Amino acid sequence: ALISSLPQFPDTRISLRLFHNVSNASEIRSKVAQLPYAIIDARSICSLEQVYSAIYRALVESKYGKLKTKSLHSECLYSLSATSNIGEAYKNFGIKDDSQMLLVIQIVDKDQQDLQLQGDEVPLNDENLSQNCDMTFIRKIYKLNEFHSTSTIEISRAVVNCIQLRGL
Amino acid sequence: MSEEIVSRVSNYLTPQVPFKAIAQGAEAVVFTTNVHPYLPAKDSNNKTYVIKYRPPKRYRHPSIDRSLTKHRTLSESRLLAKLFLIPGLKVPQLIACDAYNGYIWIEFLGEDLPNDAGFSNLKNFLWMFAPSDPYDPIVKETLIKVGEQIGLLHWNDYCHGDLTSSNIVLVREGPESWQPYLIDFGLGSTSNMVEDKGVDLYVLERAIVSTHSLFADTYKEWLMHGFCQVYKNNGAEGEKKLKEVLNRFQEVRMRGRKRSMIG
Ligand SMILES: Nc1ncnc2c1ncn2[C@@H]1O[C@H](COP(=O)(O)O)[C@@H](O)[C@H]1O
Repeated sequence: ALISSLPQFPDTRISLRLFHNVSNASEIRSKVAQLPYAIIDARSICSLEQVYSAIYRALVESKYGKLKTKSLHSECLYSLSATSNIGEAYKNFGIKDDSQMLLVIQIVDKDQQDLQLQGDEVPLNDENLSQNCDMTFIRKIYKLNEFHSTSTIEISRAVVNCIQLRGL
Repeated sequence: MSEEIVSRVSNYLTPQVPFKAIAQGAEAVVFTTNVHPYLPAKDSNNKTYVIKYRPPKRYRHPSIDRSLTKHRTLSESRLLAKLFLIPGLKVPQLIACDAYNGYIWIEFLGEDLPNDAGFSNLKNFLWMFAPSDPYDPIVKETLIKVGEQIGLLHWNDYCHGDLTSSNIVLVREGPESWQPYLIDFGLGSTSNMVEDKGVDLYVLERAIVSTHSLFADTYKEWLMHGFCQVYKNNGAEGEKKLKEVLNRFQEVRMRGRKRSMIG
């Protein structure tokens, strides 16, 4: 797990875990609304920058009373989205019955109940994200089909732009 | 800078984000910091980030002030995001935008020039070459590239709004090679009006004539060479639009002259 906090939010602990070969996604999905996590299908994630950029945005929205969803966890998922449609955000980034790679975001003050997830935890880094993500899907959901560059770094930067400006 | 602004910013950023003021404009204050707002420290070692803050103006009604700040912060951020998508155009990366509070985080560009020549904006760069070789091939190459950047901006129907030689930052790409980036889109806009484009070109021309008058004619020629090239690469439509922009540039220049004769 990658545990960190952001400079402007030192009291908020962020834990990020990446799982491959997940075999019980549909079971987790059925109770995801009750779980104190944001559970993201990692196909739609190409970089750490993308994830942290969304978490930063969610923390800012929360601190200044601008949350658009029920909790900080759901706001993290919503913040990844390029559109203001919450249903679409869940469809594009949320866990699906056939999800095999999951990114689990937990924002806590202390450890909470364990996640009964069956799969292999792998190191969370840019390689593991960019090599396994679905670039075509990412281009589609961020409306970057026309974007000239194929470099993950450049695409990630364009994605950050969308995340920072969504709905504003 | 007013103590009130500094204390406001330091409250917002928290002690975890040390910052330094580098510029104060009419509308925004610019700071730098070595702390990335959200990337883990090991991924952002030794880098510098720009924080641009629009403080509240006490003379405005609070709710109008909030909505203006939000609007302007967003408009600059949106512009950076859109320009980033244009092939060949070089602008700094937007890192974060908190429109409610008026903060934008941007990638810091440029470096200090050798021999105490100052920060690597176009103005200082030209000063650096003036005493030895104002027509150095590097100067020529760089000014053509500056012209290309402005050409790309205008061809795609965007305008800068404050195109001075301080708002063009040179980023070193090799020992003898510099890539110009356009910065500060606080007054920028989407615009297909030739008037706005003509004014951009006129503002830059004035900046160069006033600081480098002896060499200005050659510098302008190189700039316009790069600028025109972008339009000419776009066929008959490019040639047509180029003519319109150049005609308007000439008109703006004439107006400017009249005004300075009277005033
Ligand atoms: N991205 C940047 N990289 C380097 N310097 C910058 C950047 N943005 C602003 N500055 C500096 O801050 C000054 C004022 O910024 P601005 O208000 O954006 O014009 C500029 O003239 C630059 O010297």
